[in-house]
Amino acid sequence: MNRLIKIEDFSSCREQLVEIDPAELIPLPPPYDKIEKPPIRKLTDDQLKRMDASLDGVVAIGLPPPSGPEEEKAFIDKFLAGLAKLFTVENNWTFLQPLVHTLEYCVKCQICSDSCPTYIASGKQEIYRPTMRPEILRRIISKYIKKENSLVRKFKSSDIDLTWQTLARLAELAYRCTLCRRCAQVCPIGCDNALISREIRKIFSQEMGIAPKEIHEKGSVQQLRVGSSTGMTSAALKNILEFVEEEIEEKTGRKIKIPLDKKGADMLIIHNAGEFMAWPENLEAFAIILDAAGVDYTLSSEIAGYDSVNYGVWYDDFQFARVAILQSQVARALGVRKISLGECGHAHKAGIVIADRVLVGDLNIPRESTLPLLEEIVMSGKIKLDPGRNNFPVTLHDPCNMVRLMGIVEPQRRILRKIAPQFREMTPHGVENYCCGGGSGFAITQSTNFPDWRNAVSGRMKFKQILEAFQDVPGPEVKKYVCAPCSNCKGQFRDMFEYYGAWKKSGIMYGGLVELIVNAMVDIEKPFHQWEWH
Amino acid sequence: MGTLIIVLTYIAYVLIVTIYTIKVRKWLKMPPHIRWDLYPVIHEKHYRYGGSYYEEQEWWTKPRPKNRWRSLLYSLKDNFYMGEYYKKNPLYWLFLLPWHLSFIFIIAFHILCFFAAVSMACGLEIGASSASLSGQSFYYILLVTGGFSFIAGTCGSLGMIFIRLYDRSLRTFSMPMNFFNYIFFLIVYGSGLIAWLAFDPTLDEYRTYWLGLITLSAPALHPMTLLHIVLFDLFLIYLPFTRSTHYITRILAYFFIRWDDEPNQRGSKMEGQIIELLGQKVSWGAPHIAQGKSWAEVATEPGFIAIKKDSK
Ligand code: SF4
Ligand code: SF4
Repeated sequence: MNRLIKIEDFSSCREQLVEIDPAELIPLPPPYDKIEKPPIRKLTDDQLKRMDASLDGVVAIGLPPPSGPEEEKAFIDKFLAGLAKLFTVENNWTFLQPLVHTLEYCVKCQICSDSCPTYIASGKQEIYRPTMRPEILRRIISKYIKKENSLVRKFKSSDIDLTWQTLARLAELAYRCTLCRRCAQVCPIGCDNALISREIRKIFSQEMGIAPKEIHEKGSVQQLRVGSSTGMTSAALKNILEFVEEEIEEKTGRKIKIPLDKKGADMLIIHNAGEFMAWPENLEAFAIILDAAGVDYTLSSEIAGYDSVNYGVWYDDFQFARVAILQSQVARALGVRKISLGECGHAHKAGIVIADRVLVGDLNIPRESTLPLLEEIVMSGKIKLDPGRNNFPVTLHDPCNMVRLMGIVEPQRRILRKIAPQFREMTPHGVENYCCGGGSGFAITQSTNFPDWRNAVSGRMKFKQILEAFQDVPGPEVKKYVCAPCSNCKGQFRDMFEYYGAWKKSGIMYGGLVELIVNAMVDIEKPFHQWEWH
Repeated sequence: MGTLIIVLTYIAYVLIVTIYTIKVRKWLKMPPHIRWDLYPVIHEKHYRYGGSYYEEQEWWTKPRPKNRWRSLLYSLKDNFYMGEYYKKNPLYWLFLLPWHLSFIFIIAFHILCFFAAVSMACGLEIGASSASLSGQSFYYILLVTGGFSFIAGTCGSLGMIFIRLYDRSLRTFSMPMNFFNYIFFLIVYGSGLIAWLAFDPTLDEYRTYWLGLITLSAPALHPMTLLHIVLFDLFLIYLPFTRSTHYITRILAYFFIRWDDEPNQRGSKMEGQIIELLGQKVSWGAPHIAQGKSWAEVATEPGFIAIKKDSK
């Protein structure tokens, strides 16, 4: 059993709190059961001097240590100022009610712990318990915000000594939760420990300007500046679309002009720009289906109009609102009737649900998922499909944001049941799914050894589940498809399958939903889906 | 002593009702938040698999029926079954369920006692051999609810002490306050159990006490019953200072957070509230957040004024 870390250790322990021991991680089925190398690379001495890794030897943010007591004090004071703002209506009306409820009413029953894939996969490392972050925060609030006296604090075990080290560890710890909200789903009291992770991230971002580079600087800031978190400019987009059109022609013989900035189109479709860069076949498939079904749509080349991602949803209310508002402004300028989102889970939740109470007046343009539209096209017979063309094992990954967090569960399943004869579910699935391990920005966070942690720990449960879904055909000779209608999840699968060598050892490939639909289209001669690892 | 008991009981009831009301009002008064729904949402048509109205094309053009009764039943039902606990930690559930139920039953017992006392004041005789059926029913219902609450509360409190010490996860996150509560509640329920079993097996004294309460006449009670009632009054005064409000707020959290899937519509009351909140000045200190600006100005720069005018 791993070492029992106490909250006091977050302040007092001078060593690294936890070392991820491969022997303690939950076992995987063969051939992944052998421990060949340490699952997580060690940081170099130089990195350790520059970045704090005292939580678990892993770095998502990597705060530089303070130069002296004054800097340490300023850091703590700034954090406390931010923490106090979380409880004011003007600064945090957005999440005040769920925040206060979780902090005040959790009964510490630990029912949520066993639902957390990260905690379980880690071999139940105490630091990853869903209740750990809220408990640290509660103690800081008790001592430094409410200033409860020491007797009360003893009675409520709410004492804590706040040091730079405590906060550096807390900041990292907020980035060990994928915000999958599986813990919240089972809480009998209606508390939400995932939200606490997000609120901690928010203090660091909104008050102290601290967030992982990939999410803030190269993420939402870049998206607001150049148009996409990938760095893709409007001009680059146009080039890529030309490339996509050529590819479509080469693969299918069809000449399709992808509508761009078409005023008065019925809908604006926004894709995750990751598709443009890494998986253009997803865009090709969308274009083929929509063209065949005669859908009146357009893409946009305006800033934020061609990238559905909204990283703010993971860490910063204002960055979130800025992107959501820009996307709506693009749609308003185009005069479309609605916005429809491509295969991206967090963009779904951010754009359709969460933005709902930020967009007012004529910015509140109806927004929906493309999945029901795809279902209607597939079921209506508008395109002719031969499921025999998808006669290989397929399983479906449920992106948390799209499924547990917004209830889009069946359209994608009804499509797969119709077009993939060997479709099988994972256990558990639907709203009880496990996160891919790359949620809340993890899939794009490439800092030092963080990807190792993500693949070995936060994604481990999902990887195990995938292997189990294909346990009747384990060998690489049978090619298998994990259908993930989400760019972030695909990014995580790409990295994770590579980390474990799953393509070579088990023949497991990942891809989107539309690719499978097009692969089943009878009037497209060559198979659209290529079993080429990328 | 009888008069003191009456005064103390009234103080206890006034306090518990007032503090609970203040706490619930405070909870409800918090501003509307950003949607943070989590599925399954029980009032939804496809709640069995967790489906939502987003599964339909152009969902905003379709009716969105909400089965509120199902939601209410679901959230209340769990108070008597506590299914998640059973699934995740059956041993804990074994002690938690009776402990939890003892609170519900003891409150129900007192409410029933009140009605029994009113009936007695109106001339109804309550007892096993009462001439009227309602007198007999009252007698047995009181016996079952009271007896059950004393037994469940005593066993549950003992069990909670044991499980909080025995189970590593629970132990790690336990605080002295937990154990104080369990011991205090054990004394409250235990004293009730002894008073009932040893001195007042028909709960006649309890009915006399309640009759005294509504007729404002000091009852003559056995010292053990007296002791239990004093302890119970203290228990009522103490309860609102614990996390016990979660009996109510958990249901509010289900309805107003987890299952709150109400879309914001143009011109709606909610939109009005949001516009007001968007207009408040924020004071976050990070460099990417401008100082002295409103929420909406920070989020839109030039946009907010236009939005506000448009939506009026
Ligand atoms: S968050 Fe909920 S389930 Fe988890 S410990 Fe608190 S009350 Fe229990
Ligand atoms: S949101 Fe997911 S990863 Fe985070 S604590 Fe809850 S279950 Fe664990």
